[in-house]
Amino acid sequence: MVASSVNQPVVVAPLLVALATAILTLLARFDLRVERVVSLAGGVGYTAVTALLFQRVVLGSESVLPYYLSNWPAPYGITLVADALSASMLALAGVVTLPALVFAVVSVRERGQRLSFHPLYHFMLAGVSGAFLTGDIFNLFVWFEVMLMSSYVLVVFYSGPEHTRAALSYVVLNLLGSAVMLVAIGGLYATTGTLNMAAMARRLGEPAAYNVAVAPTLGLAALLLAVFALKAGIVPFHFWVPAAYRAAPAPVTAVLAGVVKKVGIYAIVRLFFTVFVAAEYANGSALDYVGPVLVVTAVASMVYGGLAAVGRDELEQLLALSSVGQVGFIVLPLGIAALAPNLPMPNGVPGETLAAFGVAAALVYSFNHAVAKGLLFLVAGTLTDVIGTTEFDRLGGIARRAPVLAGAFLLGGLSLIGVPPLIGFFGKLLVFRVGVLAGAAGSGTAARLAWLGLAAALVGAVLTIAYVTRAWNAVFWGEPPKTVEAVLEERWSAGRRESTAAAADGGQFGVTSRRTLAVEAVVLAVLAVTLVGFGVGADLVVEAAAEAGEAATDTAGYVDGVYPEDGIDGVPADGGDHSGDGGGH
Amino acid sequence: MSDETESNRPAATAGPTDETEQTVNTSTGRVGPAFDHRTTVIARTVVRVVVPVVVVTALALLFQGHNRPGGGFIGAVLTATAAVLVYVIFGLEYLQSHLLGIDSSPNEPHAPTGWYRWLFAGGLALAAGSGMFPLLAGLPFLTQGVAFVHGLPIYGELEVASALAFDLGVYGTVVGGLLTVVAEVGEE
Repeated sequence: MVASSVNQPVVVAPLLVALATAILTLLARFDLRVERVVSLAGGVGYTAVTALLFQRVVLGSESVLPYYLSNWPAPYGITLVADALSASMLALAGVVTLPALVFAVVSVRERGQRLSFHPLYHFMLAGVSGAFLTGDIFNLFVWFEVMLMSSYVLVVFYSGPEHTRAALSYVVLNLLGSAVMLVAIGGLYATTGTLNMAAMARRLGEPAAYNVAVAPTLGLAALLLAVFALKAGIVPFHFWVPAAYRAAPAPVTAVLAGVVKKVGIYAIVRLFFTVFVAAEYANGSALDYVGPVLVVTAVASMVYGGLAAVGRDELEQLLALSSVGQVGFIVLPLGIAALAPNLPMPNGVPGETLAAFGVAAALVYSFNHAVAKGLLFLVAGTLTDVIGTTEFDRLGGIARRAPVLAGAFLLGGLSLIGVPPLIGFFGKLLVFRVGVLAGAAGSGTAARLAWLGLAAALVGAVLTIAYVTRAWNAVFWGEPPKTVEAVLEERWSAGRRESTAAAADGGQFGVTSRRTLAVEAVVLAVLAVTLVGFGVGADLVVEAAAEAGEAATDTAGYVDGVYPEDGIDGVPADGGDHSGDGGGH
Repeated sequence: MSDETESNRPAATAGPTDETEQTVNTSTGRVGPAFDHRTTVIARTVVRVVVPVVVVTALALLFQGHNRPGGGFIGAVLTATAAVLVYVIFGLEYLQSHLLGIDSSPNEPHAPTGWYRWLFAGGLALAAGSGMFPLLAGLPFLTQGVAFVHGLPIYGELEVASALAFDLGVYGTVVGGLLTVVAEVGEE
């Protein structure tokens, strides 16, 4: 078993494909066509290897696949770990990033693509993959930085005043977050004597054996929680979201909202449900402490995001604020599950304990949000390309003129609302079920918080219906204003470009060719079909999420997976005597 | 022409002040642009002495980096510092016109900026490529090895570490990246 399960190249493949593509596109900058081909090939390759890893780990028989970078054994070198949770998140990234890339190739202006778009996009993917894969907490910080550095530039990509302003607050906030994260990681290293997550879980589980003071790690974990909440855009840390999402090019926003945000969620799940859960503090486990916090922030996110989105008169801002609300739906099951992690679940529920079920529900909802919100942002991007604006005042009646666009928006919106048979229905169903089960079986504060979360989720769901309906009415129904009429008749029936579109923004958006629109429409259609397809085949998603939930909450399995031969970590905290030779020969 | 109290801005005409004249004489003989920087003789002399030392130290750090203090990053930062010293003391054009012997006019873009970009990309490719190379042998990403070459004339024994390739990649990336920034900002 040892020989077959360690160091399989498929584990590191997503990381390497993204990295190699980024470098090759950098080298291919002399010719935009070559660069585009390389970039697209890399995007396809990325989706393929993430699917392969998903197939191997989640659907196949393998459970935890460790990969020892540089051939250093587990606690000494940097270990990559692909378990069902990591593989599911990577698969999610693979599903969203390829359509967004294809969209970007036709949508982002040529000068921008020539400048640096493709390397940045793939470096961002490399950062995302690394963050999902790494089993080392400092390495997690490094991949966060790789991801954020690229996203900084992508947010400021259009370099106008409002983009610069949005990027400035995005950069400053994330730099602050990174500094806090580094401090917390340094503190964890000082307290536990290791950076390897599996080793940390083991040491926190047996503090006496490893001479670890457990109490400080709770405060450090709280710092980390704040940082991850910032990256995920959960309510007290949501203020950078609308401006940044609005400033970035539409395909980038699709990836930021769909994938990059989920890295924060993933980090919360991984560190709290896998690592810190092992520690026993004065009044219970780390989950007992973070549970109420997560529930309250989720409630605030759902209500605030929903209310703020309803009041917007601009599609992109509405979608960005809706992202804040939807993240609440992802965090809520995590928080409720943290309140009573060991509550056994009845038959027919994906997950044996409430913790596993909560993570599974969060993952299904993440998947729904990633695809649906990615699709909606791309619809907004198409509207910007065609008409030059996403303000409700200047839009209307598009359903009749652009059925593909309208259909894509409708499906994305319905999935966000949670209408069967779309995947969003199953996401909402599981989230509500987590709340009901916890509320019914729990007692005291935990049950009250679960019911509170459930009530807020209901409010949030109603608000989702309200803002999606409002956006639909404003953009796709009603009488088209004159600008839309002129542009869309030319675009979609005759197919000839007319300069009327340029009226919006100084000609910048008026250069959309028929081919561009055709490609954009195909991308939207593919994503819409994905939503329906995964809704019809929801079993696959739910089963995968259930497996990921089990993997995320199975600390012992994770530790054993990272240390296939037991006893490597037997030396005390400062024992630097490594047993491997580092591959020297 | 040589009005020291006023700005000697019209640089292309090589104002023959005492200091600039010296430089023109020791260079390739081409009348290069004069320095429109108000740097002193002391600064210029010191930089002339210091830059080679800095570069040698940087290379030493680079080549011993895989098993002693040093490495690609710190070597690259030092190398970039040497280039920045030349830029700051002698101006943007000096590097390409005097040290590298390329004709340039103030209207053209700074030629080395393009090379720095390539150095950056090439360095990244080298570093990543050296990490991926072990995959061909079935070893994990980034696995390093070392070989000892015996019986060399002067050295006797030489240690050849595969980590050096990675370090060189880091070196190229950091030098390229830092100097791209410096040259781009300096041009504006």
